Amino acid sequence: MTVLAVSSLAKRYRRGGKPFAAVDDVSFEIGRAETLALAGPSGSGKSTIARLVLRLIEPDAGRVDFEGADFLALSGAALRARRARIQMVFQDPLAAFNPRVTVARVLDDPLRIHGIAPRAERPRRIAALLERVGLDAGLAARAIHEISGGQRQRVAIARAIATRPTLIVLDEAVSALDVSVRGQILELLLDLQRQERIAYLFISHDLGVIRAVAHRVVILDAGRIAESGDARAVIANPRSAIGKALVAATPRLTRNRP
Amino acid sequence: MNRLHRFFRTPEAIAGAIILALLIVMALAAPLLFPGDPQAIAGPTLLPPFQDWSLPLGTDRLGRDVLAELFHGARTSLAVGLAAAAAALLIGSVIGTLAGFAGGLIDEVLMRITDAFQTVPSFLLALAFVSIVGPSLSVVVAAIALGAWTGPARVARAEVLSIRERDYVAGARVIGMHPLEIAFREVLPNALPPVLALSSVIVAAAILTEAALSFLGLGDPNRVTWGGMIAEGRAVLRTAPFLSVVPGIALMLTVLGVYLAGEGVVESTAVRRSLS
Repeated sequence: MTVLAVSSLAKRYRRGGKPFAAVDDVSFEIGRAETLALAGPSGSGKSTIARLVLRLIEPDAGRVDFEGADFLALSGAALRARRARIQMVFQDPLAAFNPRVTVARVLDDPLRIHGIAPRAERPRRIAALLERVGLDAGLAARAIHEISGGQRQRVAIARAIATRPTLIVLDEAVSALDVSVRGQILELLLDLQRQERIAYLFISHDLGVIRAVAHRVVILDAGRIAESGDARAVIANPRSAIGKALVAATPRLTRNRP
Repeated sequence: MNRLHRFFRTPEAIAGAIILALLIVMALAAPLLFPGDPQAIAGPTLLPPFQDWSLPLGTDRLGRDVLAELFHGARTSLAVGLAAAAAALLIGSVIGTLAGFAGGLIDEVLMRITDAFQTVPSFLLALAFVSIVGPSLSVVVAAIALGAWTGPARVARAEVLSIRERDYVAGARVIGMHPLEIAFREVLPNALPPVLALSSVIVAAAILTEAALSFLGLGDPNRVTWGGMIAEGRAVLRTAPFLSVVPGIALMLTVLGVYLAGEGVVESTAVRRSLS
């Protein structure tokens, strides 16, 4: 079953008066409980696609079908209600939250906005969400700037799953984390996918991470799809020039033999 | 505690805080120390200061106690200054936030209205407003706020323009928050610090504007104001200059105190902002 179908998506910007295509004729599909990775160098249009899919910016052309319905046709209250089903985790876990709020407020907002739980029940739901992402329920009372980056990214994931979405867009969600925390967060994401059958649109420039979590990969170059296919197969044997360059740029541990 | 320490680091801030504290004590103590009507006749007319210790600052042309008037005038000056500044900051930050966050046509319309208000000198605006509606305390407050909200509106808009591009605003949209809630709950509180930095200047200007309106006879006639006292004293400036000088000094000290204390607050928060 297809969760998200994007076809012929295009977005143009003007840079120094000249129009240039940030995203050009991009099509892909994501099935239920599937992880599709978008890879590519900086400026290849990965984040623009994420923002187009989430309706944070509007495309110039193309279709976005979410759960079988035209997502671009929605507006106002209907769009806001639909947003419960498609969530996002940002790269910088500090910039993603209002700097003045507590962890409880972050998780309370989606529950309140989408009427998921009455006020009296919400503290219990917030505690359950925190425990679901491996955090102590006592963290709820802390200010968002008091907790560590890894904890913050777990809170971001808790916020994303609060409304029980079918798709989460992860825009470089582990890139800003240090290596040990990154592994734990990836484990958590895989665990959530297995249990809740959430699909991920996983945006990253790190092919090592993509190889570990993604089923399929789409490699982008200057807004266009350079190649796509099974993640392991593409990374093992890239055919496009940009794919080869990305694989060659992935750091490897080489053992020095004495 | 830490912020208090930082506030009291500069001598200017300490001086400002002392002056403001004295003023607030004066305003609060006025009805206790001078329970009667400060506009009632208390003794002989035009008594110079320091002659009669029951009337330490002497009396004016009608024999009213200058010290009592000074204390009750502090109430009016502070009340009008603070109320007008609060109204100006509220109106300005709401309009600035709406303009900056909505963008497009709404931004265009709101900012052209702001321009229109800014091109009219704020004192003339207040003068015209009070002459049409009639002098009373709330009208004077509204008249002063009418000329003072444009500065906060511009600063709030500029700040909102930068904040609305941040990830957490996108995050609020992703969870389906209503645009008005995003504007006033997520964006506005974070845009406030630079707007509040304007408050000392606005309070000081509001106190001066109120005094000027009273001087021209457009203050609330049922209240003693420093501006009104200066106007009263003007007629006998040669024979009894103290009648104008005493409220004049009070006015100057108040504006100075508000400004210094406000600068102290800005200084102490500026450090915190640059760190965070």
